[in-house]
Amino acid sequence: MQEFGFSRLALFEAFPDALSVFIAFLAVTEGKKTSTSFGFAAGILEGFFSGNNLGLHMLANTSGGFLAGYFHSPEDSHATAKQKTRRFYGAVLTAEFSAHTIITTGYNPLGLSPEYRIVTMGLLASLMSVILAFIANRLFLKKTFAA
Amino acid sequence: MRKFFTLFFKHNALLLFLAYCSIALLFMKLEREDAFSKLQTSGIEFGAGVNEKLINLTSLLNVDKENQRLMLVNRDLLMKVLNHETTAVDDRNRRKILDSPTFNASGFTMARVVDRKFSERENMLVINAGWSNGIKKDMTVLVPEGLVGRVISVSEHYARVMPLIHTDFKVSVVSDSSNCTGILSWSGGAESVAQIEHIPISSHLKLNERMLTSDFSTFAIRGIPVGKVVRIKPDKLFYSIDIRLAVDFSSLTQVLVAPLKIEPEKVAISNDSTLIEQIP
Repeated sequence: MQEFGFSRLALFEAFPDALSVFIAFLAVTEGKKTSTSFGFAAGILEGFFSGNNLGLHMLANTSGGFLAGYFHSPEDSHATAKQKTRRFYGAVLTAEFSAHTIITTGYNPLGLSPEYRIVTMGLLASLMSVILAFIANRLFLKKTFAA
Repeated sequence: MRKFFTLFFKHNALLLFLAYCSIALLFMKLEREDAFSKLQTSGIEFGAGVNEKLINLTSLLNVDKENQRLMLVNRDLLMKVLNHETTAVDDRNRRKILDSPTFNASGFTMARVVDRKFSERENMLVINAGWSNGIKKDMTVLVPEGLVGRVISVSEHYARVMPLIHTDFKVSVVSDSSNCTGILSWSGGAESVAQIEHIPISSHLKLNERMLTSDFSTFAIRGIPVGKVVRIKPDKLFYSIDIRLAVDFSSLTQVLVAPLKIEPEKVAISNDSTLIEQIP
């Protein structure tokens, strides 16, 4: 879906990342280990489909998964649905921004300046991913966070 | 040892992360050495294949519109090609006639053969010149190679021509060296061979002599080539003669129409014997 669907919704060369949303969801519900492992696996898939920088994608998504894991909300935490949702958005923002920063640091196909790539495009892509997360939350995840 | 395992289980997420990062870094290193080129190539193949399918799927939805557009483009191109080809062929045929060194086409009307009725016993040509172009009945139709026929009916823009290879067609001919005169006719069969009648066996006609239209003809101007004698067979009073016609009727596209031969006095004197007595 990411490679053939969401990557086509580009705005100023930045696009929402469904993988970051999924990793963030796992980070909030399952924890750091699961999100790190899924980040690693997602990196392999993303690198395979993009046809280049396999290792860089693995590193970026693993890091994103690991950092998103800090937003984990354990079942015994008694966190409300609203708190979980906030954690989820925070996890998306963290996972996407960190993954985006690592990838843009290691790979610059458009020859843009590092500041622009990291700050402007990173923030834009993160914002778009948060919007995607918001839509996903409204459509599918609301009940999961409420439980 | 116990402390190590406690530390491991306490920070296993961090260790897992470090392990994954190590693998990722190893991959990055190996990628630089092209060890993963095959994997990357297959990734590109796969991605491109899926993309192609997606594009095909999108284009399938618009296939009707695309087909319609291509049909219109094809129609326009076909019309252009046909126009160019016919113009080129017409121009080539016209030049062939006008550039003929042995034939002066000035004063003649040029026309194109637009229809031909052809059967074993009948041939009829239709040319695209009619009375608006000055064409009249009984005008001679010819090409630089020889006689084609005569105009038998005329409309505003078209004229029907009875070709030489018509069973009702007759024309007076004369041989160019022995000056033997006869009547040329065509009795059907091969369209390249016609017959000559009324040449007496006392004449000195030889094989391969050229036959031309004579002054005796009521419509054809004299001197138009008709063909070459290919067979002479003596009969009781006259020769039975075959001539190979000069014109190839199978490839006739452009023709010339000669001005009408106006000899009213000759026609009158031929038809009315009383006039002879009035002449002093």
